[in-house]
Amino acid sequence: MDQSDWASEHLQVIRTLMERSAVYRRALAPIMLVAGALGIAGSILACFAKLETNREFSLFWLSVGVLAVIAALLLVRRQALKEAEPFWSPPTRRVGRAVLPAFLVGLCAAALYIISPKSLPESAWIVAIVWVLCYGLGLHAAGFFAQRGIKLLGWIFVISGVVLFFALEGWSRLQSSQAAHYVMGIFFGLIQLSYGIYLYFTEKRRSA
Amino acid sequence: MNPEPFLQLDRVIHEKGRLAIMSLLAASPELSFTEIRSTLQMTDGNLTAHMRTLQEAGYVSVTKAFKAGRPHTTYSLTRQGQQAFAHYIDLLEKILKQTRKK
Repeated sequence: MDQSDWASEHLQVIRTLMERSAVYRRALAPIMLVAGALGIAGSILACFAKLETNREFSLFWLSVGVLAVIAALLLVRRQALKEAEPFWSPPTRRVGRAVLPAFLVGLCAAALYIISPKSLPESAWIVAIVWVLCYGLGLHAAGFFAQRGIKLLGWIFVISGVVLFFALEGWSRLQSSQAAHYVMGIFFGLIQLSYGIYLYFTEKRRSA
Repeated sequence: MNPEPFLQLDRVIHEKGRLAIMSLLAASPELSFTEIRSTLQMTDGNLTAHMRTLQEAGYVSVTKAFKAGRPHTTYSLTRQGQQAFAHYIDLLEKILKQTRKK
């Protein structure tokens, strides 16, 4: 092996190890698939259920969110056990810390709506869009420590959330609880599921 | 070819195990003993010996604490360690450039 091969191999090893230490590498496809499926199931259920107050709306979607987080953590744990790695590894810790502020704001918005006396049609769509924005910001922050287009997905949520804010504000017919459920279903269901499907095939191809 | 960059390579970092440790620590503010051991799949004795060498060179600092009643050792790169690692990478890149020019 000449010095050039040797040096480039060394640099490659260093790069791989630095990524292993800094970048979240566990498969995201199962997490996105489960979260997307839960989002779709949630929005279908919400359209049939009679959620008439802010409290019911927030509690319902908060429950779906908690379920999705629990499912994601279980999947991460399973992957960690399979690879004999610690569950709360440094990259997992970084991703967790990165998403925390945005998710905390989303949680506070939910708490505010749980105690808010306003009726649903007037304001449910606002909290739905706030959640879309918070989730997008969280994904974008996590994207600094993860691969595979998480940052781009974050941008999609943020830009769409901002556009929706203006669209819904200007179009009063869309300010309904039904619209809020659609927003939740599209963003936390369809978009996540589509991203999960994309990851499922591309992650498989990469590891093959 | 100018052999100088190759001769300048830091022998403390250049060893395979220590280079791996330095690479992990360069990308993370701090890592525990178990995290490094499980990532690199080293034995306790091997990792301890490498850490001692890196500490003696002033490249790594160690923090010992107790977590839930159990000893918890974490390592991080010192400023000197960061500089030495950056210099090592620079030299590798120089070697690559030199050989590509030929």
